[in-house]
Amino acid sequence: MIAVVALLANVIGMLTTWVHQKVTWPMRVARTTRLTLEQVRTGKRSVRDLAKTVAGTAGAIAVLVVLMFPIYWIFTASLSEGAGLMSTEGVFADPSTYNLDAYRWVLFESSFTDALLNSLIVVFVTVSVSMSVVVPGAYALSRHEFRGRKKILYGYVLFTQVGAGLSIATLIALYVLFVNFGLSNNLLVLGLFYAAGAIPFNTWLLKTFMDNIPVSYEEAAVIDGAGRWEVIREVILPLSKPGIAVVLVFTFLAGWNEFIVARTLLSPENYTLSVELYALATAGQYDTPWTQFSAFAILFAMPVALIYFFAQSYVESGLSFGGMEG
Amino acid sequence: MSTSFLDRVSAESQRLLPFDTRNLNLFGLLLVAPGAVLFLSFMLFPIAFLVYLSMTDATHAGTVIGGDTNFVGFDNYVDLFTDSQFWTSFGITWLFLAVSLVIKIVVGLGLAMLLTHARVVGKRYMRAIVIIPMGLPAIFIITVWRGMFSGARFGPFNELLATYNSAVTTLAGVVDQALFFVAVSVPEFLLVDMPVSWLSGRWSAFMAYVTTEVWLAYPFMVIIIVSALQDVPMELHDAAKVDGAGYLHRFVHVTLPAVKRPVMFASILTAATSFQQFLIPWIFNSGGPSRQNELLIVYGYREAIELNQYAYASAIMVTAIAFVGLFMWLAVRKGNLAEGVDSA
Repeated sequence: MIAVVALLANVIGMLTTWVHQKVTWPMRVARTTRLTLEQVRTGKRSVRDLAKTVAGTAGAIAVLVVLMFPIYWIFTASLSEGAGLMSTEGVFADPSTYNLDAYRWVLFESSFTDALLNSLIVVFVTVSVSMSVVVPGAYALSRHEFRGRKKILYGYVLFTQVGAGLSIATLIALYVLFVNFGLSNNLLVLGLFYAAGAIPFNTWLLKTFMDNIPVSYEEAAVIDGAGRWEVIREVILPLSKPGIAVVLVFTFLAGWNEFIVARTLLSPENYTLSVELYALATAGQYDTPWTQFSAFAILFAMPVALIYFFAQSYVESGLSFGGMEG
Repeated sequence: MSTSFLDRVSAESQRLLPFDTRNLNLFGLLLVAPGAVLFLSFMLFPIAFLVYLSMTDATHAGTVIGGDTNFVGFDNYVDLFTDSQFWTSFGITWLFLAVSLVIKIVVGLGLAMLLTHARVVGKRYMRAIVIIPMGLPAIFIITVWRGMFSGARFGPFNELLATYNSAVTTLAGVVDQALFFVAVSVPEFLLVDMPVSWLSGRWSAFMAYVTTEVWLAYPFMVIIIVSALQDVPMELHDAAKVDGAGYLHRFVHVTLPAVKRPVMFASILTAATSFQQFLIPWIFNSGGPSRQNELLIVYGYREAIELNQYAYASAIMVTAIAFVGLFMWLAVRKGNLAEGVDSA
């Protein structure tokens, strides 16, 4: 858990190294290939040994290709507007007919921009509300001992890791109340709902990050005559910046990704991107506009995917919440 | 020390209260309270409200608030547990959980071993690719898979079947040419009747759910198992090899013990998520055909929002919540989920 925060938090700093690594990989592959061929030629490495490695790697690549088939399909579909996708033999359209018409449709003719505005309103409420309660909460849980502290932490962890699907169970109760108070078709209320749901995970995340800030910094500040609020403002908050950035991203995703609550509470004019995506996907059983759907889906998922890909090596090594490695 | 508003509030309430609030540390409590209250008001309060609703005879949203409801005790639960629809839903939920869990473990273990294998080059990049599903919104993944399972003649899976059919037919043609003395035609059982309406059949829709659920959750398994496998010292494998242990033997005695605990723990968490799966059945075919594949939460949601049976739906949701509570208890008992709480 601690590893996640520390590693994720370094993402921005490590970005340049990352880009360099990614961009230079063909050169490294070429060098390795040359060295290997050299070894085989001089007899340092047997052909048999090399063949085993090549076969193993090829097998792994084949497995990955099969696994990632849906991603490949959605990308090619989004480029195949009017190019006979799903009307001729073969899963994919002819690459020479690829075009960006579907993206043009999504951006200029569909309800994408209206829905984007709605999504951004919801996300803005979610991020601002949850940040304003997560940061103080995480600080208190990290630095102060008080009655009920452990119970709150336990509750937060359990609801985050095990009970994430319960929001739909509670939704039916909240729906009644929202409808009755006339709050059901309200983007601000929806944002507040997401903010409430985002609190446990993000408070926990930021708390573990703050646990790693040495207490000696605060002690030094106190000796220099800093009060409680100065310590928070001058020591805790500046040192927590990377952790706060990560929490910002996660609360953004909480508002951006959610679908069923938005779909249940909102009327069509207030639909967010995820609801519009669903509407497009289920437009008809046989006449779903696949190319347009694909372009819409990709534009919707892009911000999320970009965040993840920049953070991927950290996610990979770090997504081990609460000592899951056992 | 500056005396802020909060400090003064603390001091003031200290004076008024009969017990020593310094044990309470009001400052910390006040900082945590807004978040905790906001969370509880959207989580615990609705759960309490659900429990209350489940003991009334509320039907549609109006009656819930309008006060036209009567307290009926456990009648809804009695109705629920004698309703065959409930048992269908309950059974399919556990079946979904079990089947997808087994496949997740097998796929996760296989991929993790592949991605830590000495003979595979470029493992770092492959691991980055393998966890892609984790970085995509669930609604994106599920709608895309819905497209994959499209019942249209030119849906991706139907196209693959068409390719398979034509391959079989071509092969039979070649055999027919080679064996010129007899007429060979394709045996009927080798050909698939096209197009397949994946989401209209009960079990094909069920397998579509499972496929999507596995695709959503396998990265989590892979990450957990890879990190466990990397902790196994290479010497252990080498020692086993020296002792003449075959591949299977090493798998059972070296690899499995190393991943057992993390896999079990990841299984509890992912099983809890599967149990609460809503989006896949809802988006694929609303838990159809004819309500045969309604997972528990879908069942409850439909009864409330679509069929206006609020009290009944509340009883379903309370039952689901009770099982989620069981998963929470399991996670605490069997895993070290809350380890960080104690160590901090």
